[in-house]
Amino acid sequence: MNTRPEDLHDNDRHETGTLPLSRRNFLKGTAGLVVAFAIVDPTAAIAAAETAADSVGSPDSGKLYAWLAIRPDNTATLFTGKVETGTGVETALAQIAAEELEFPINRLDVVMGTTSQTVDQGPTYGSMAVRYAGPQIRHAAAAARKALLDLAAARFKLPAQQLEAKEGVVSIIGTSGKSVTFGELVAGKRLDIAIEASGSGFGLKVAPDAPVKDPSTYAVVGQPVRRKDIPGKVTGQFTYIQDVRVDGMLHGRVVRPYGVGAKLESVDETGLKDIPGFVQVVRSGNFLGVVAETEWAAIQAAEKLGSGLDPEGPQAGQAKWSDWQGLPEQDAVWDTLKKTTGTNNSVAAKGSVDLALPFAAKTIQATYKTPFQMHGSIGPSCAIADVKADSATFWAGTQMPHQMRADMAEMLGIPEDRIDVKWFEASGAYGRNGLEHVIPDAALMSKAVGRPVRVQWMRWDEHGWEPKGPPILQELTGALDKDGNVVAWRHHMWVPTTGDTRLIAVELAGLPQIGSEGTGDSAIGYAYTFDNADVACHGMGRVGLLTAWLRSPAQFETTYAMEAFIDEMAAAAGQDPLSFRLRSLDDKRAIDVLRAAAEAYGWDSRPSPAPQQDGKLAKGRGIAWVNRDDVRVATIADVMVDRDSGAISVKRVVVAHDCGLVVNPDGLSNQIEGNVIQSLSRTLHEEVTFDRAHVTSRDWEGYPILRFEEIPDTIDIVLVNNRPEYPSYGGGEPSTCPTAAVISNAVYDAIGVRLRQTPFRPDRVKAAMSRTG
Amino acid sequence: MSQPITINVNGKDHAVEADPDSMLLYALRDDLKLHGPKFGCGLSQCGACTVIIDGAATRSCVTPLASVEGTRITTLEGLGTLEKPHPLQQAFIDEQAVQCGYCINGMIMTAKAFLDGNPQPTRDDIKQALNDNLCRCGTHMRIVRAVERAAKTGQAQAGQAKGG
Repeated sequence: MNTRPEDLHDNDRHETGTLPLSRRNFLKGTAGLVVAFAIVDPTAAIAAAETAADSVGSPDSGKLYAWLAIRPDNTATLFTGKVETGTGVETALAQIAAEELEFPINRLDVVMGTTSQTVDQGPTYGSMAVRYAGPQIRHAAAAARKALLDLAAARFKLPAQQLEAKEGVVSIIGTSGKSVTFGELVAGKRLDIAIEASGSGFGLKVAPDAPVKDPSTYAVVGQPVRRKDIPGKVTGQFTYIQDVRVDGMLHGRVVRPYGVGAKLESVDETGLKDIPGFVQVVRSGNFLGVVAETEWAAIQAAEKLGSGLDPEGPQAGQAKWSDWQGLPEQDAVWDTLKKTTGTNNSVAAKGSVDLALPFAAKTIQATYKTPFQMHGSIGPSCAIADVKADSATFWAGTQMPHQMRADMAEMLGIPEDRIDVKWFEASGAYGRNGLEHVIPDAALMSKAVGRPVRVQWMRWDEHGWEPKGPPILQELTGALDKDGNVVAWRHHMWVPTTGDTRLIAVELAGLPQIGSEGTGDSAIGYAYTFDNADVACHGMGRVGLLTAWLRSPAQFETTYAMEAFIDEMAAAAGQDPLSFRLRSLDDKRAIDVLRAAAEAYGWDSRPSPAPQQDGKLAKGRGIAWVNRDDVRVATIADVMVDRDSGAISVKRVVVAHDCGLVVNPDGLSNQIEGNVIQSLSRTLHEEVTFDRAHVTSRDWEGYPILRFEEIPDTIDIVLVNNRPEYPSYGGGEPSTCPTAAVISNAVYDAIGVRLRQTPFRPDRVKAAMSRTG
Repeated sequence: MSQPITINVNGKDHAVEADPDSMLLYALRDDLKLHGPKFGCGLSQCGACTVIIDGAATRSCVTPLASVEGTRITTLEGLGTLEKPHPLQQAFIDEQAVQCGYCINGMIMTAKAFLDGNPQPTRDDIKQALNDNLCRCGTHMRIVRAVERAAKTGQAQAGQAKGG
């Protein structure tokens, strides 16, 4: 099997609304020959045939055509409700399908997300696409292979057992004569074959009895197949949601309230009509938008009403807002969390911490604080809506198209099967950012003007209004006996909701609410074996700003506190931080990744801090690990701390990663490198700032992220337990988790100063140094 | 107010009807229907909108249309095609130096102008050249490797040209 197919895909370009998906062009180069061919789009035809004339509902998961189409030229399409978010799942899921179907992956195309063409396999989040959708697709493809062998058996008048499928061709085992392609067998028809399907979303079970392959025989899964989307992305031929243009489309911009909870008092439209191409203001309660013929006109109009980077006050623009000042003080947000009532969940309750504490030889306490952080997509959120009286079409980059169809059905009072959400990839979102919220923005504007409206947020809309990762307060107490054993461990966290799914436009317009507030989650992956442990989460709803899931929700922060505090305990006991952890772990996979990372790094056993270093620069090493939903990751890093400036530079990173069987090792490496760098950025730089009215970090100067000159010299990756007997757990986010702890521990190793609040900006490092003396 | 303006993009003249104070990016995306240059911030902070104007990497989101008449503008589409990618584009494919890819237009266009002026850069030179381009997925390691690879390819080709 050629594991590096040189396929070049030209993504669909929906330049018009009248000819959606009418053709699908792709170019394929094999063996030095470049063949260009066009195929009749399978998806439109299938969707049309599948459902009633006026319905755009999703295909029936109990039919093979819901998952696969095979065309006469022996090309095929995989349909999946999952979406690509930049992590490479399109290629990974295609590998799984190609493997089971016995089909060449460079002839297999993937249609993702569009609700009228794909089954709802649950949202694409939580590092769960390969883990949950993988087996669904695997079984559907295996069922298709069996169906094709049965078709060939009938054609050859031979038992199916005497036939084999390979590379999209069925032949008779042991002979070189007769063969037939999958395309010939299907003969231009759709795969109208019933398969067993039960449950829904992540829990959907597809063709459970299909004859899936023995993973030890995999030839495509496990290979570094090149990503299908990259050639188009590097040549400007790829169509992101931001690139979609629909016939008759207008451009919209939102004008958000000055204060998060401000009321819209009046709108002065003076001068708007002088802007060439201006169409109208759309106002509904506190929802305000402008619509124009051109993007530039929409931007000019929004600016007149008060949209901008640095609005000067609630009354400074032509839209007048009430003077709302309801946000907590930024520096007091952690006190606010502790005072807010919510739920209490125990993560671990073993022995009695309170009874053990009085007998301890040494007790230490620490408080860890982490701020609001943002997803910070490079491309602001964008969607197009075409809302009619009894139907609606959306073009969107959401990570949950099927859920958004349900939400829009509720908001607009239109049946779900009359709504199509056509999915296109967006700029990476890393969780729930503005991509869901821009959909109702566009819907309200389209409904008001009766034409399709494309809404793209401005940078300050994205920074200011995207749902944030929540701030978290964590208090820890640990006790050691005289031999340096941990005799008590208490870890409590206070966290606002990580899953507020209420929509901004719906709230602003005062419509009946859709979605729910959610509650702060206990994201502590506690795995130590201490005799007395009390680990708990105090979860609450919205506190100040809208919050939702951000890559490895809350577990980036809880891993920071847990793994930095265990380092504090190791230091207090005068022990090597790796050995100290290993003594209190019985999770074999955790032990394996810690040992693998230590071996790759060349870890020598000694306590932190490192022996006294003279001079301006001090070098340190740090280690931490996580169990994130069955994935184990251990990370070690070397840092250099500049004692004069307080600046931290990260030199070398080693990651040992166990997510079971890896579908695409190069794709996984790309993800691990990305997680490391993004989490370094969150560790060193990122903190949302706000006054009592609104977010004040409204651009990249206010919210800096890591730049090229700050990247590590190397990121070495060791894959652990990448073996066929393990399931594929998913690698989209776990390697984010250990980073803040690793850096905090490395800084302590270097200069003996403990950093207990992110981000570790130089001023904060200097302040911690002066406190330590 | 709107008026006819001619811009030369990827070797061809295009007449657009637009406000001369409006930014080049919108003409490229909305009038010429190009997908390469992206709207990222509109503030010249992230680099997603980068094009090359008369050899210089330029942020099209803050470049008024009136200022580019008579210049030669190159976009990502003007470097190479799917069938025949430019060596820099090929290097990004070979290094698989993309995650979501939204920033990649800016990375490639900035690197193109940079390598044209500095064909034998060190790794630190490359990092410095790309330091004002933001990537959120964390693809930096691969992007640096891709530019290094392209520089090596360029040197090899230059060497061949000299030798031949």
